[in-house]
Amino acid sequence: MAVVYLQDDNIRVSVSHGKTIRQIAQRVGASMEFGCRVGDCSTCVATIKSGMEYLSPKNLKETKALEMLSSDTTNLRLMCQCSIDGEGEIIISYNI
Amino acid sequence: MLGDITPVSESVHFIGAFDPKIRTFDIIMKTANGSSYNSYLVRGSKGVCVMDTVKKEFSEIFFKRLELLCEYDEILYIVLHHLEPDHSGALLELMKKAPQAKLIISGRAVMMLKGLIKTDITFEVANTGKTISLGDKTIEFLSTPFLHWPDTMSSFLHEDKILFSGDIFGSHYYDERLFDDEVGDFSYAFKYYYDHIMRPFKQYVLEALRLYERFEITTIAPLHGPVLRSNPNFYIQEYARWSSEARFRKHVFSHKMLSVFYMSSYDNTHKMAEKITEGADSIDGLVASMYDLASLDESNMIDLLEESDAVVIGSPTINGDAVKPAWDLLSCMAYLESGGKVGASFGSYGWTGEAPEMLHDRMRWLKFRLPVEPIKIKLIPTEDELDKCYLFGIEIAEITMGKMVEMEI
Repeated sequence: MAVVYLQDDNIRVSVSHGKTIRQIAQRVGASMEFGCRVGDCSTCVATIKSGMEYLSPKNLKETKALEMLSSDTTNLRLMCQCSIDGEGEIIISYNI
Repeated sequence: MLGDITPVSESVHFIGAFDPKIRTFDIIMKTANGSSYNSYLVRGSKGVCVMDTVKKEFSEIFFKRLELLCEYDEILYIVLHHLEPDHSGALLELMKKAPQAKLIISGRAVMMLKGLIKTDITFEVANTGKTISLGDKTIEFLSTPFLHWPDTMSSFLHEDKILFSGDIFGSHYYDERLFDDEVGDFSYAFKYYYDHIMRPFKQYVLEALRLYERFEITTIAPLHGPVLRSNPNFYIQEYARWSSEARFRKHVFSHKMLSVFYMSSYDNTHKMAEKITEGADSIDGLVASMYDLASLDESNMIDLLEESDAVVIGSPTINGDAVKPAWDLLSCMAYLESGGKVGASFGSYGWTGEAPEMLHDRMRWLKFRLPVEPIKIKLIPTEDELDKCYLFGIEIAEITMGKMVEMEI
């Protein structure tokens, strides 16, 4: 199990491997914003404060979308694209 | 009728189109005298930049105005601050007439452009800080997303101190005298536009205003309605005030606000509402209040929802559904910022009791935080059940005040 801390809603949730952050956020009622939900619109961009290593690697679509937003994408992820891929704590910040 | 080509400054001209006949805009907005699709041409010593286009059916007048001011081969850049069809309607034709021109859009506009244009065209992406030069004129771009689509951006023409704001600061108001100091009183249309278009994105409005702060703006050139040149700071301050949380009464008295909205046929859901409110109100730093939806009109619903940190909705189940005023209440969220509010639902029922779950599901799609499952009670609540309602109110209030929610899924 991984633990996802959704910082802006103060929700800590234990989750199993493979779930996307979007699925988790919507299940627990977090206030994360979503647009297209398929990695095109970048609405769900969020900052991974820690635990990037417990998330699935960025796919090409996500990489391209993030590069359109910022020159430094090190800690950025699209919440509709990344999923749990490890056991540890992931801290996510997503509001402005 | 073409009319004169109106200069906004020595190097900027209005080349947009007026639409005095339109009465309903974007399905949700009314306009009593029409609107305009504002486009501008900026001339520098080395060439021309076209700021946005117009709705497709107004292309002819747009091109006539443009042709009076420049040759197509002089156009170096086409900037789309916002891709909605009323601003991108003449883009493809313009790009055919000026194939050398570079199209500039925001990063978030890329996939939208493909969806709208349905063909591959080349473009450059502009984020905050990117500049382009027209020789003696410099245009700097500002990323101002979600005002009111993800793609929106603004730009600032340094030498003329003109902010091309996009839809922000717009009005659906038709008046060919164009400038705010010459047109009729459009104040109502300016506020109405904010309320319907920008109010759901007020945190993004405040972000945009922070970006604008470093510029000395003498004119705001929006995409609809009057050009604001008499006192741009007045309009900026109006947006800042309307978007600020500080104006809310709860901030004056430093408390959080929980609102219980309910309807009741036989007083049962009402009794639950009373206990939930009582429980919530027992938590320090939070004021809980209850409102009977039978006597709440839409504008009051919107104001109460906007100010509430937590929204709890109670409805009996009638014919397998929540009652219409409960749905009407939630439909008001279309005018408000989504996300961040704590939500919950409850209700007494006689037969099937779906209403609380249905409201819960709808609130999920509206991006409420829903940390507790709905509570429903068969017909008349017992003392034990009313105690559960009291504890339900406490739990929602504590979460609203910052208690961490721990879950396993």
